[in-house]
Amino acid sequence: MKKSSQFLKYIHEGIRDLYWVSINEFRHIFADRGVMLIFFVAGLAYPLLYNGIYKNEAVYEIPVAAVDDSHSLESREFLRKFNSAQEVKISNRCLNLEEAQKLFRAQKVHGIVYIPSVYHIKLRNMEQATISIYNDMSSFLYYKGMTMATSYTMLDEMNKIQIERYNAAGITGEQAKMIVEAIPSSNTALFNPGSGFASFLLPALLILIIHQTLFFGIGMLAGTAREENKSHSQIPERLHGKGIYRVVLGKAIAYFVLYIAISAYILGFIPKLFNLPHIGNIWTLFHFIVPFLIATIFFSMSVSVFIKNRETGLIAFLFFTLILLFLSGFSWPQSNMPVFWRYLSYLFPSTHGIQGYIKINSTGANLAQVRFEYVWLWAQAAFYFITASFTLSYIVKREKLVKTEE
Amino acid sequence: MTYGAFKNVWKRELRVMFSRPIYLFSTVIVMGFCCVFFFTLFREGLPERLPIAIVDLDNSAISRRFSRELNATPMTQVVVQCSSYPEARDMMQRGKIYGFIVVPDNFYKDMLSNRRPDISFYVNNSYLIAGTLSYRDMLTMSTLASGAYQREILRARGAGEEAIMGRIQPIMIDSHQIGNPWANYGVYLINVILPGVLQLMIILMTVFSIGIELKNKTSRDWLHSADGSLVTALCGKLLPYTILFVILGLAGNVFLYKFAGFPMNGSFLRYSAATVLFVLAHQAIGIFMIGLFPVLRDAISFGALYGILSFTYAGFTFPIEAMPRLAQGASVLFPIRHYFKIYVNEALLGSSFAHSAIYFAALAAFLLLPFIVYYKLKRALIHQNYPLK
Repeated sequence: MKKSSQFLKYIHEGIRDLYWVSINEFRHIFADRGVMLIFFVAGLAYPLLYNGIYKNEAVYEIPVAAVDDSHSLESREFLRKFNSAQEVKISNRCLNLEEAQKLFRAQKVHGIVYIPSVYHIKLRNMEQATISIYNDMSSFLYYKGMTMATSYTMLDEMNKIQIERYNAAGITGEQAKMIVEAIPSSNTALFNPGSGFASFLLPALLILIIHQTLFFGIGMLAGTAREENKSHSQIPERLHGKGIYRVVLGKAIAYFVLYIAISAYILGFIPKLFNLPHIGNIWTLFHFIVPFLIATIFFSMSVSVFIKNRETGLIAFLFFTLILLFLSGFSWPQSNMPVFWRYLSYLFPSTHGIQGYIKINSTGANLAQVRFEYVWLWAQAAFYFITASFTLSYIVKREKLVKTEE
Repeated sequence: MTYGAFKNVWKRELRVMFSRPIYLFSTVIVMGFCCVFFFTLFREGLPERLPIAIVDLDNSAISRRFSRELNATPMTQVVVQCSSYPEARDMMQRGKIYGFIVVPDNFYKDMLSNRRPDISFYVNNSYLIAGTLSYRDMLTMSTLASGAYQREILRARGAGEEAIMGRIQPIMIDSHQIGNPWANYGVYLINVILPGVLQLMIILMTVFSIGIELKNKTSRDWLHSADGSLVTALCGKLLPYTILFVILGLAGNVFLYKFAGFPMNGSFLRYSAATVLFVLAHQAIGIFMIGLFPVLRDAISFGALYGILSFTYAGFTFPIEAMPRLAQGASVLFPIRHYFKIYVNEALLGSSFAHSAIYFAALAAFLLLPFIVYYKLKRALIHQNYPLK
């Protein structure tokens, strides 16, 4: 009987302390302009900013120079069809290749289509004719737009010419079609059907914004605490000598409560507002985001041991935002990453967060389909909880040592 | 500006730089790490052997041949045979494959009886790069398959090889990728990402090295060691960083264009001159920011925001002219935009200096920024009324 009442007292005290630590941490957050700037202004404004910048999703009407040395019915037909593709627009018609290349080098046009003088002769002789294109490689979107427009035009023209040729050879109708295109193919982009750039980049960025604002905010809080109060910086005065877990958990609860709300805005509201992909089930997403936030919080608390001042976190680790983005495998695929980087990427909550979010939100995966990421995030949450506790107690011990030496 | 005062400040700054690890970390180590990281990450150039699947509902000799032909294309590899469409879709949602191809029931039979059976490709464009590339290879495979069938028919009718090619593919596209002939993803990204990281670190370090004097209330001592001249104080303090960042920038250029074999169709020297201007322009921006917000934490936050946005405003992943009007105008405020234009002119296109001159001028214009905040910064350094919270 006595034992159980002691246990109840322990639980009661524990909860009271947790509550106290959380409220205390909330006070710290709301009293600090820098942290508020990171959590709220960066967290709320970045998604709006990036959506604003990328809202057009694709490049349309890339200016292209056309050089038609063939001056024939066939070449005009080709250029007319090419010009009607949405990706490109013939902005200049040049008399020769030199003139076009001049425009290209001045970056007035981002591509050249050159039709040689023998084009129509070869076609009329039923030989193979060649068309040259020159691509601006400064942006892959130019290159992609240019090659798409040319290959559509080419395929279309080719079909027409082939049918004509078979007709001339006495093969007509369905039979000619049969030979020209024995195996018709259809192509479907199951997810991100418009091949939009924003729909591809922003899901990854949104998760990264949550990860990085949490990371830098927590780093700034830890750095400030250590600057202002050399001893016991991380531990509120009244908890001295008591379990370090209460402090770690209490702080984490404060961040978690705040970030559930911020995540709801970033992941729930923003994709709908800007019509980004959002075909995922909202409860699946919620289920997935919980371990992601917990893992990110404890990860940030563990790393914040290296941050000795308010500002050093941003200076030392800001570049890592870029590294995390590429490690997540949203652009350069995970399947083609060197093994070392792939395994390293598994250590960061952002990698699994981004992969899982893309799968749930952009391709409609359920929880079982993101089991790999889900399990990893919980494992990280547990592991980084332990490391956060260790690093905190290490700091406390060292600071006490410094104090007694003084 | 006297030489003695300048030397004082210079020596003072060197002492500070070696006293804390953050200085070495944020310059040499960060740049070195990024260089190694991006080089090893993109070493394939273009992703090879992307995992895809085939749903073979026909299971005939010809449908089995598709899988073999897909494996012969450079970008894709059939990693799994699925028995149904839902199974393949599930694999795609799990991220195990980036695309799949469906060969319908009775495909071979329909083909023999001239019913022109369809094959369908499905790709996942949530991973735009992997999706686009696997689509390209699947399309190639199907065109080849169709062509092979055509060739057999034409041969059976007794046509010669040349006539066959003219019939199967009357038009050929001869494609030139100017400045990046193999469409190498690494060449495309690394050339801009490394300067991007460089500018980020320059801004942060400039703001930090000046701001820390304000924060630690040592700014009067700093000015004093420069005989009270702000110009001397700034030059002596920032020159070590100028030298360090210029060395890092040029080392990057030498590495990329002399050793790694990245294309440089124009003048390496002119591009390196642009690199020096690029470093100076960002130091000027750093001075401007700490002068505008003479509180270290505010200026650092502002610098961070600006430095990260620079990657977007270089306009290499998403061209500036595809952005909304309002967003387009802001691009001139980022030196990396001008530097990127010089890079395109020199490295990719090899065009004449006349095309780049305006961008050199734009980079130089950033050097005027410190003069705007001269008095504000000097007042802040003297008064030292730094807010605590």
